[in-house]
Order: sequence, then structure tokens, then C-alpha cells
Amino acid sequence: MTPLVRQSGRLLVLVTMTLSTRLPAQLPEIAIERRLASELDLAVGDTIRLGPAADSIRFAGVVAAIYEPRSDPAEIAKGEWHLRMHLPDLTRLLGTPDRVDRLSIGLRGGISADSAAARLNRSAYGYRAHSSRVIASESSQTFRVVSRFHRAIAIITIVASAVFLLCIMLLKVEERRLDAAVMRFVGVRRRTIFGALLLEAVLVAALGSLLGTGLAYLAGAATNAYYRRFFDTLLTFSLITPDIIWFSVMLSLVLGAGAGAVAAWRLVHTKPLVLWGRG
Amino acid sequence: MSGLGWGLKSLRRHRLRAVLSVAGIAISAALLLDMVMLSGGIERSFTELLLSRGYQIRLTPKGTLPFDTEATLTGAGRLVEAIRRVPAVAAAGAVLGTSLHARRGDSLVTLFGYGIQPEAQALYTMLSGSDLAPGDSSGVLLSEPASRLLHAAVGDSVTLIGRLDPQVVTERLGRTLKVSGIVRWVYDYRGQPSVGTVLSVMQSLAGQRRDDRASLLTVRAEDDSLAATVAAGLRREFPQLEVNSVADLVRHFKQRLVYFRQLAYILGSMSLVVTVLLIGTLLTINVNERLGEIATLRALGISRRTVIREIMLEGAVLTTVGSIIGIVLGLGTARYLDSILTSFPGLPAAFSFFVPRRDSLATAGIVLLLTGTLAALYPAWLAATSPVAATLRAEAT
Repeated sequence: MTPLVRQSGRLLVLVTMTLSTRLPAQLPEIAIERRLASELDLAVGDTIRLGPAADSIRFAGVVAAIYEPRSDPAEIAKGEWHLRMHLPDLTRLLGTPDRVDRLSIGLRGGISADSAAARLNRSAYGYRAHSSRVIASESSQTFRVVSRFHRAIAIITIVASAVFLLCIMLLKVEERRLDAAVMRFVGVRRRTIFGALLLEAVLVAALGSLLGTGLAYLAGAATNAYYRRFFDTLLTFSLITPDIIWFSVMLSLVLGAGAGAVAAWRLVHTKPLVLWGRG
Repeated sequence: MSGLGWGLKSLRRHRLRAVLSVAGIAISAALLLDMVMLSGGIERSFTELLLSRGYQIRLTPKGTLPFDTEATLTGAGRLVEAIRRVPAVAAAGAVLGTSLHARRGDSLVTLFGYGIQPEAQALYTMLSGSDLAPGDSSGVLLSEPASRLLHAAVGDSVTLIGRLDPQVVTERLGRTLKVSGIVRWVYDYRGQPSVGTVLSVMQSLAGQRRDDRASLLTVRAEDDSLAATVAAGLRREFPQLEVNSVADLVRHFKQRLVYFRQLAYILGSMSLVVTVLLIGTLLTINVNERLGEIATLRALGISRRTVIREIMLEGAVLTTVGSIIGIVLGLGTARYLDSILTSFPGLPAAFSFFVPRRDSLATAGIVLLLTGTLAALYPAWLAATSPVAATLRAEAT
């Protein structure tokens, strides 16, 4: 293990900016994210003044780069703007020389990050070492909560859809009362009528599933288009995977066929005269 | 027979389909109620949280929100004195938030520290013991989780450590304080170990004493109706600070949780569509099956208006029964969904996403009833406009 082979500090700081027209030589370089550059109408080469507070905007820097930040779901709702500076420039600006929020350590191949973190923590005083896996797990807590919420909503929606499907199928089959009565009068067997009604239910469920899948793709595309524009990000908000389609189609087919079977069974076991409305 | 009786009899004739429809409406009603609670609950809960101690205004470093960044403002004492002189200001206080350590046996535990001015604090309510007196530099307040973590009760002593020096492996700033009371910090997340001292002690521990730094200032106007005016006045007087009234903070918070509000609107609309389709389909098929009966009634002199009213009453009955079941179901699912969302890391324990209130129930109920009744319009129109003679002739053959 090579401790501290890579040392970096990434600080987010609130800065207040004013545009300046003077261009002193050797100004510190600043990289600005695209949205901020667009908002302030900044271009590479412009000079800006920064400060840690509204009454201390004394630090001048030159825009050296405009970058597109990596899409981060944890950041999109905050509406924060970021810029990047060389660490010494930022610590000088903040008046906190040689202070950082965190250090990153790259390990040689074959060394466990968890055991390295544990070893550092045993000898540590004043800091805490975490492996990237632990940090990723901690920082994804929010999304795990959102996923649990989505699952709970999905269950409620599936139950509502299932009841709706059962009801529609029942009504669809019961609509065939007169047809079933006529078929029974002319001697068609119950099994044949049952099979025909079941097949019809399955076909309706299959057609509905197909339309539903198309609708889901359209809704997903609309969701992505809306939220990408709303949050000005490239993140994907709605992802329809083959597993989701498979589950949804199978569920609707099973429910449709089940509901059709129940309704058809009731129908073929009703006296033909009753079906005809004269019983 | 009354319209209601006719509708009920018709529904009883097809029990299975009526039960399934009511079940579908009940689930849709539950989802709608949950979404109505979610869309308004975030705002209400956050407002109640912010106003729980009666302070309507927060001042923070320019461009920040309370405890959103580690930015601090300087000259807190001077600012507080200036704000207290503003007309219509009843109280003002400064707060510094920082992370701290405390000794437990031979190890250190990390705590969150609040530096407060006890005479004007908007952050806690007392649970036991006594509050800090203004300027009391020997006392400390603990949250229940901090009390458990430190095994400390009222009257015990705890040593708080502000800064550690990794290079010389020593505590750079430490202070032993006596536990005055156990409090509930309003904005703490579940299980957060927090401690509070008077502002000057916390500033010393955090190394922020020299510039008299604070994270935010809280202001209470003499009356809620004056809060907006006072906030506007403070904005003019302190342009270097961010002045937010409760309404401003709620607006920022809503913006961050916009996803949940939009989800609530989408799912609420979907539940209404399902209700319309269920009631519309069921009643249309019922009407088609009873066209003969309806034609006979029309031939006996029953008016079109009566037929329409009775079909719409049938829709209203279905919706009412489904909604009553749905409201009970919705309150239950709301508790479950709330328990999921309130487990968001860092969310104040007192915050709630689903707030059951009479107006939420009334809104969901009225919207459903109107939707269900309107969904019966098409089948009612179908029943009222069916040709009497042709229908009777067809029924007779």
C-alpha cells in the first residue's frame, strides 16, 4: 500500500461573482460548469472576482475551462452551481491554508480497501478512513429510500390494475350472455363455449398488454424528456427494462386469463334460458 | 321505488361485478387520498416544523439556506443587536452549528453541536432538567440519543472536544461541561446525537470565536402578519445576508422535493382515470342490459330526467361506497408510505410527508364523488335517449 499516493481536496464553496474587465497577468485558473457559465454569460478567458462572503469579493481569477459536470442524481434537485479551482488557490481564497475536507488514496493492486481503511483508522486521530464501497453505500441511502417508495407505489398500482382488469374481463365475458345462450340452444358443448370465451379473454389481455407496453414506452420517453429539460441534466429517469415488460405482460395475461376463466365458467354453468333472459 | 333503491337493487343483481368495481374504486380512492396528502403534506409539515418555536425569519450567509453549507457569517453579536432594534422584531438569536467530539471511555464519538442564545432560541424544547441561562458557560444540553451515546444524565459532566490535531495526536480544544437538561432538537434527524451550549462556548470549541461567527440568525416578528414586512426590511438593511421568511424556505424546500409533488399529481390523475373507466364501463354495461326495463319505465311515463338521475345516483352510490373503504385503506397505506419516506437520511425526525387532515379527506372525497357521478353521464345519456318503441319491440322478439 502506498499511502497518500494521490492527494486531492474538493471543496464546494459558495462564491459571489462580479465581472471584471481588467486582465492582470498570471491570474489563478478557474473551471466553471456549463450552466453557471451560461447563466453569467461567461466564456473562456473572462476574468471574474470571487469571495467567501458578499462583503469580501477580492479574489480575481480567469476562466480557463467550461465543463459539463457528471450527471449526479444526488445533486440535481439542489440547484447548486459548481466551479473548480486549484487547491492552493481555493484555500488561499477561503483563508484556510493547507486545510482540506477529504483526501483520496489510491491503493496498489491486490490490497483490500476495507482492510486498508481499518488499518488507517487504528492509527488515526482526527480523521476517519472509509472505503469507496462504504461511501457509495452510505451516499446511496437516499436512492434506496426512493426505490422502496417506488416499489410500494408500484404494488398499490398493480393491485388497482389487477382489480380493474378482473372487472373489465368479467364484464367483457358477461356481455356475451346472449351469444352463449344461442350456442347452448343449438347444441354447442359447454367446453367449446368455455374455450372460445377463454381464448377471447387471452387475446384481449394480450392486445391490452401490447398497447400498454407501447404506452409505457411513450410515457417513459415523455418523463425523461420532461425531467431532463426540467433539471437540465442527461440523467435517465424512467428506464423500461425487458424484465419489467416480461413481468407486466405475464401478470396481465395471467390475470386476464384467470378472470376470463372465472367469468366463462359462471356463464357456461348458467341455464341457457336464464342467459336468454327468460329464466 | 326511489332512485337510490333502484340503483342499489341493480348493483345487487350483479354482485361480483359490483364488488370488483367497488374494490377498484376503493384502491383508486386510497391512492388519490395518499397523493392529495403527499402533494400538500410536504408543505404543511415543513411549515409547522419551521414555525414550531414561533420564529418566522432566518438570516444566513448570502446565497445559502440554513445548515445547507458550512458557510458562516461574522459579527453575529453585532448583527443580533442591530436586528433586535428593528421595529416589530420581538426576538432574535444566533446559532452556530458544528461537528464536535466527546470522550466515551477510551474512544471518541462524533456529535453535532449547536451554539445558541438561550434567551432567543428556535431550535429545541425541554424534555427534562433545566434550560441554559443566558451566558451560562458551564452547562450543556443533550438530545436523548446523545445522552444515551455518552451515558450521561442531567447533573453529569461531559467533555466536549472541538478540534483534534492528527499530527501531534492530541485534542486541540476541549471543555468539560455539566449536563443541564435533555432536549428535543427540532431539526434533528432520527437518532442524531446533538449537544447545545451557549454560543460563545460553541464558538470557542469550533475555533470561530475570534470573528464571532454563526451559521444563522433567527428572528421572531411580533405578529405572524408582520413577518413579510420585517423580512423585507431586514433584506434592505442587511444586503450582505440572505433573508428568508418561512414562506421563502418552504418554496426552496418544495423546489427540492418537486419530484414527489409531481408524482403525486400524476398518480392522483391516474387514479381518477381508473375510477372514471371503472364506473363508466360498469354502468354502460348495466344500462345496456336493462334497456328493456328502462324502455318499459319510459313507456309508463317516467321522464328522461328521472332515468338520468337514477343512473347518476347509481354511479354516486358506487363511488361513495368505494370512497369510504378507500379512505380507510388510504390512511393505512399513507402511514406505511410515510414510514418509508421519513427514513430519508438527514431528514428531521419531526417531518412528515403524508399529513392526514380534514381538508385532504374532504378534497379527495369531493373530487372522487364528482368524478364518479360525472362518469355516469354517458351511460345515463345512453339510457335516456334509447328509442322506447324499438327497444320494446326488440325485447319482445
